[in-house]
Amino acid sequence: MHDSYDFKWEDLGDLSDGRPNLGAETSVIVYRLMQYTFKDVFSKKLGKQKTVELFVKAGTLAGQQFCRNVLDTSLPFSQFMAELKEKLISLKVGILRIEAADEEKLQFVLTVSEDLDCSGLPIFGESVCDYDEGFIAGILEEYTGKKFMAKEVDCWATGDRTCRFEVKPVEALDGPA
Amino acid sequence: MDPRKILEELDACLKKAMSQGLGKNGLVFPIDPAAVEDEQLRPFCHRLAAVFDMVNESYKYAEHLSRGDLKAKSSRNNIFAMPLKGLQASLAHLTWQARQVAEGDLNQQVHFLGEFSDSFNHMISSLREKKMIEQRLELITNVLGEGVFLVDSHGKIVFANPEAMRLIGYRFDEIEGALIHEILYKQQLNGTLYKPEENPLFNAITSGNDYNDEDGVFTCKSGFLMPISLVCRAVYKDNILDGAVIAFRDITVQKKHLQTLEAINELLEKQATTDALTGIFNRMKFNKSFTNEIQRAQRYNTPLSLIIFDIDHFKQVNDTYGHLAGDSVLKNLVRLVASNLREIDIFARWGGEEFVIQTPETSLDGAIKLAEKLRSKIENHDFTEPEKITTSFGVTSLKKGDNTISFINRADEALYRAKKGGRNQVVYMENRHD
Repeated sequence: MHDSYDFKWEDLGDLSDGRPNLGAETSVIVYRLMQYTFKDVFSKKLGKQKTVELFVKAGTLAGQQFCRNVLDTSLPFSQFMAELKEKLISLKVGILRIEAADEEKLQFVLTVSEDLDCSGLPIFGESVCDYDEGFIAGILEEYTGKKFMAKEVDCWATGDRTCRFEVKPVEALDGPA
Repeated sequence: MDPRKILEELDACLKKAMSQGLGKNGLVFPIDPAAVEDEQLRPFCHRLAAVFDMVNESYKYAEHLSRGDLKAKSSRNNIFAMPLKGLQASLAHLTWQARQVAEGDLNQQVHFLGEFSDSFNHMISSLREKKMIEQRLELITNVLGEGVFLVDSHGKIVFANPEAMRLIGYRFDEIEGALIHEILYKQQLNGTLYKPEENPLFNAITSGNDYNDEDGVFTCKSGFLMPISLVCRAVYKDNILDGAVIAFRDITVQKKHLQTLEAINELLEKQATTDALTGIFNRMKFNKSFTNEIQRAQRYNTPLSLIIFDIDHFKQVNDTYGHLAGDSVLKNLVRLVASNLREIDIFARWGGEEFVIQTPETSLDGAIKLAEKLRSKIENHDFTEPEKITTSFGVTSLKKGDNTISFINRADEALYRAKKGGRNQVVYMENRHD
């Protein structure tokens, strides 16, 4: 057995071949069951902080791969975001909306409604979309070639009806060099 | 305080709110939960007080949102405010989208907002269609080989396509807002300035009439006049005159072609009316002119005479000295005769070695004198090869009822008599029927 695994898009498999009857889709319950049981097990093994870090990291990898394999990175920003929005709707991930965008500074405020990770959850009092944070940052990293940080400032689980993310390049967070 | 009393207090509070609204102070929970002695009722009252607070906060939050304040906040645990938060997020996104659309981003779509989504997305597809039409129009005006101006109803230039700029030599910012009849269409073909009230383009623009000018000029930036063909059509907005579209093209090349064509036509006409060897009129031109001259003389009752002459024994010249020498004799003879005629006399080669002269305003006597003078000059001229030649002349004058045939025949008969009489002489025919 290998010590580590390197993800490849092809590893998602040929679903038309593998699931000729059940197809490519599954239920949100099953997705959440997997995610929240992972969280349960990881947090007990690694601690909550480390678990969050790993979820963000995995989300970033997913966002990069998603961008590389599903989206057209040659499009100008507005068209790219329009395509991303359409894809996220068609894949039933969530409804992405932009509230503010500074294309020069690459700083954005995005919301995701009907989010796959959290919409409909009980109010936990803290945001839970760690994987989403990474996913959004990963997509923008792949598109711009710069490292991004996405911070969820509002979440269904904190009592909001939509998840709100503040997204900035990492260098902006570090301050000018 | 017993439960019944608490409920009565609450009912009174709610009754007031339901009849008068929440008012400035909102719903005021009528009981101090801390003062409730019953331990089971106390937490219930605390929760009810919290619900009252949530209702008040939601009300204020909704008020802010209804005023368009998208920065408004509500507590995270306020369960009544939650749908409003969704609405707030949608409004914030729509605000951003509207800004994007205003800046030309037509990729925006609104999802899952019912009829609003339909209306917004319909607006976007209409704008896309409009943009496509604008792009097509822009493309057409950009590649069009004609200059195009759009002017307002006073003649102020509001648009010009690249070809227009190229032709007149201005940058758009140099002529934007300028009056087209003051900066470009201000001169006539001969260079004189139009009087403001007589400028036909200005009059067409301000009256909404069509105007075409196939032979106008634009004053270019360089000051040069550019020959143009121009079409002006009125533009109406909501049935009110809003200006005009003016399309024009540079016709310098066409004008040059026209000039060349005119030169060619002139040459062809000359060739058609001129004798190639001697350069004087040919028989065809003479006949045409002769007919006109007879009519004129008859109308104004002025004298007109006709002289026909030919070279004696010219065949011998050709046979002895060759045709080149014969041609040379003809050319020298023509030069000699022409130099002794007036401007108004028409001199033509009748054919071979035979020539005709029509002499307007000249009586028979005058014509006879002229013929004799010419005969003598020819007889005494040195033609080199041969040195000497002689000529015979027939002379006559126009009489009443003459036509070209009768007039020429009479002169011809006189020439015949001169030949028969021994050549080198002038014979005239009187107007026998006068």
